[in-house]
Amino acid sequence: MSDYPRNNLDLPFITTEQTGTEEFIVNMGPQHPSTHGVCRLMLKMDGEVIVDVIPIVGYLHRALEKIAENRTYLQFIPYTDRIDYVSAMLCNHGFCMAVEKLAQIEVPQRAEYIRVIMDELNRIASHLIWLGTFSLDLGAITPFLYCFREREMILDLIEMTCGQRMTFNYMRVGGVSRDLPKEFIPKAREFVKYFKPRVDEYEAILTQNPLFLGRTKGVGILDQKTAIDYSVTGPNLRASGLRWDLRKEEPYSVYNKFEFDIPTGTKSDTWDRYIVRIQEMRQANRIVEQALESIPEGEIKAKTKPVFKPPKGEAYARVESTRGEMGFYIVSEGETIPHRVKLRTASFSNLAALPEMVRGALIADLVVIFASLDVIMPDVDR
Amino acid sequence: MTKEKIIKAFQDRFPGKMEEFPFVGLDVALKVDEELILEVCRFARETQELSFDLLTCMTCIDYLDHMELVYDLFSFNLRHRMVIKTSLPRDGEIESATQVWKAANWHEREIAELFGITFKNHPDPRPILLPDDWDEGFPMRKDWEGKDFVRLPKK
Repeated sequence: MSDYPRNNLDLPFITTEQTGTEEFIVNMGPQHPSTHGVCRLMLKMDGEVIVDVIPIVGYLHRALEKIAENRTYLQFIPYTDRIDYVSAMLCNHGFCMAVEKLAQIEVPQRAEYIRVIMDELNRIASHLIWLGTFSLDLGAITPFLYCFREREMILDLIEMTCGQRMTFNYMRVGGVSRDLPKEFIPKAREFVKYFKPRVDEYEAILTQNPLFLGRTKGVGILDQKTAIDYSVTGPNLRASGLRWDLRKEEPYSVYNKFEFDIPTGTKSDTWDRYIVRIQEMRQANRIVEQALESIPEGEIKAKTKPVFKPPKGEAYARVESTRGEMGFYIVSEGETIPHRVKLRTASFSNLAALPEMVRGALIADLVVIFASLDVIMPDVDR
Repeated sequence: MTKEKIIKAFQDRFPGKMEEFPFVGLDVALKVDEELILEVCRFARETQELSFDLLTCMTCIDYLDHMELVYDLFSFNLRHRMVIKTSLPRDGEIESATQVWKAANWHEREIAELFGITFKNHPDPRPILLPDDWDEGFPMRKDWEGKDFVRLPKK
């Protein structure tokens, strides 16, 4: 063994010119387990280091905006479920709010409370999916099972109310489609109480886990200035230290009646994006708890005409979706169908900032950074 | 800043070129000529007392005889919003706002592909959402005819 060449370069069939590094292109996706949907990334690599990345999107483009121009306002509500199917309630809410703004419809208080409860339950469910798949990408399977256990309970609560588990089609222009069933409030209270210690459980596995810290601390930094330049919103922006949440700063629905905090990060790295979402689950739980205590009796839907025609004009409504600002811009010509509906989705802008975060990172970190952004592909492609 | 001050700041800098239009639930909505759009965007972003640093959304509306581009802006420092609009011919060309906000990049690619507007000085003018072999024109235009597309009659 002693005369075995230690340095490969001494091997007669490999010369120094052949072992030098050069940049090469790697194709990742569109069907890759860590892209959470159908996203293709073209990577320019130097060894294991990423020089540049180009996200290629559009595989799930269903032209929802074109469909909207060919449906009546009420017919489009089920389509909003398909924009971001993980948090469909918030999409419902945003679209209904935009139409209500346009037609100046006053929503009854009870309906607003129901909307907030559903939004926040859906937010928890969405963050749970994120946390589960994020830890799965890191190689931790246990949190995934925990998260789906709790998500199941939320889906049961929502199913009890609207009969659906994924694409809810629950909200209507002027309110919601049906009232909460009798057993909902006690069950939901039970869930809120049950869920509080569960977040500690996730944190116990991940937050101070040395392996987790090693993979996330200081990885994928997106500083505040770049985030704003790319119009990154939601938890990703809050992780870079900016306290901005539409629920607090421009309260819509009845969010101004509840007490909750806006968690922010300091280092704007992957770990901060993780902890911000963990804290957000606690805050969402807090909002649900307060809303369940103070929900008033009364009407659940404002009266609208059978043939619904909002007046001529344009309006833009925005909600704080689980992924950031979700905006609905509607242009009405005073007919039963909208002239134009623009869907401003958070994932679209958030994904555009990906190249800024992964330059110089390792390819293994790309998977983590991509997961920490929490983009969902139908939300990008619409 | 208050509504009047924002409008005044624009009208002082671009006298006679900025025109107000109604927008439900928003105070400041201004319309501007297409040639001025880049200057107006720069002014909105770089002036201290305006500092619109976030381009939340950018979109296009087809009115059959012309197109309208809409820029939805927000300022994190001063917490105010505004909308800038400009109209241009259907096959028009316009300066890219990517030079002011990077967020405009993907939005403009989407608009160029779906509406057929050309953005001058865009750093990456590739299509974004449609299939690579798409050759059926600009699908978001109001007069677009597709193979299986049936338009709902207007009432």
